[in-house]
Amino acid sequence: MNEYDEKWEDRINALLDGELSAADADLLKAEASDDRELARAIVEAYQLQQVMDTVNVERAPDSLRKRLRAIPAEQQPKPAFRLFQPRWAAALAAIPLVIIAVSLMQPDKPSESEIAQARQDMAIAFAYLDKAGMMTGREIESTVGQTMANAVTGSVNRAIQSQNLTSKEKEV
Amino acid sequence: MKRLIMNRFVTGLFCMLMTLPVIAQEDELKDLPGYVDFGDLSVTYGEPKITINLGGTMLNFVGMMSSAESPETSELISKLKGIRVQIYNTDDNADAARSQFSKTKSNLKSSGWEPVVQINEDDEQVLVYMKMDGGNMEGMTVMVVGDDEAVFVNIIGQLNPAELGRVMESFDVDVDLDLD
Repeated sequence: MNEYDEKWEDRINALLDGELSAADADLLKAEASDDRELARAIVEAYQLQQVMDTVNVERAPDSLRKRLRAIPAEQQPKPAFRLFQPRWAAALAAIPLVIIAVSLMQPDKPSESEIAQARQDMAIAFAYLDKAGMMTGREIESTVGQTMANAVTGSVNRAIQSQNLTSKEKEV
Repeated sequence: MKRLIMNRFVTGLFCMLMTLPVIAQEDELKDLPGYVDFGDLSVTYGEPKITINLGGTMLNFVGMMSSAESPETSELISKLKGIRVQIYNTDDNADAARSQFSKTKSNLKSSGWEPVVQINEDDEQVLVYMKMDGGNMEGMTVMVVGDDEAVFVNIIGQLNPAELGRVMESFDVDVDLDLD
């Protein structure tokens, strides 16, 4: 359960149960429009409610109900192990789904080579930013002179000078 | 409502599993205000010679890996949400690139981007635009179209250009660019 579940659960539950005032409901919806996590929590809760509403509990035949009532309480076998109650059986069955869901929700950790490639890509992107900055500096320099160029693009030029880039086109 | 809470652990997973493929397919960068659509010039120039698409997840990992060796770099990367680069060889036929340049420039203007630098030479155009939200930078775009190549760079998130040099030093990566 994430932080949004904990923070908003009461309000979401109240919303779905129709127990929230119109003003509070509007406020929650407005907050959800700006907060994707909150919106998703509401959608999930709504979907869950829909699923639960589709679960029908069949009423036992009257004859069976009469016979069950006729059994003295002391003769009714106690559940051997509460874990086998349907609710817990469902929970146990859901454990593999929990594992799958959690693993799917986790972003795949990239390999070291992928991270190294990402660093290389970032360096290339930044180098092109600097290249644009240097071209800008040259343009300003040719137009208004060295003093103004340094004033405008000094930081970029200093960065470029520090990089010592070679002059061969990078091919990926 | 207690029923809902008690069983949420069990049945909510089904809903989560149903929505996972949709979430996975979301393109996180396209939804961000600093994103810029550069169009597709591959019809004219073929596949870009350089294509870079780094999203927030990968940047987070790079930032984490950099935190020990350079907290400054990690801090800079943590403010980035995406980096996109497309570079095409124009081979002395930059008309399509210049057309895309103008189209993108028009889109940027109408989307509230602010021009920072604009150079219009006969053989080269340079454009730097920034998207601001109050005092916060949401994105930066650099477009350079020359006779030989067309460069489109989109930084999504906050970036201080003055910190670029230090960050690149910390990367210790050789980048070969034609700076002439």
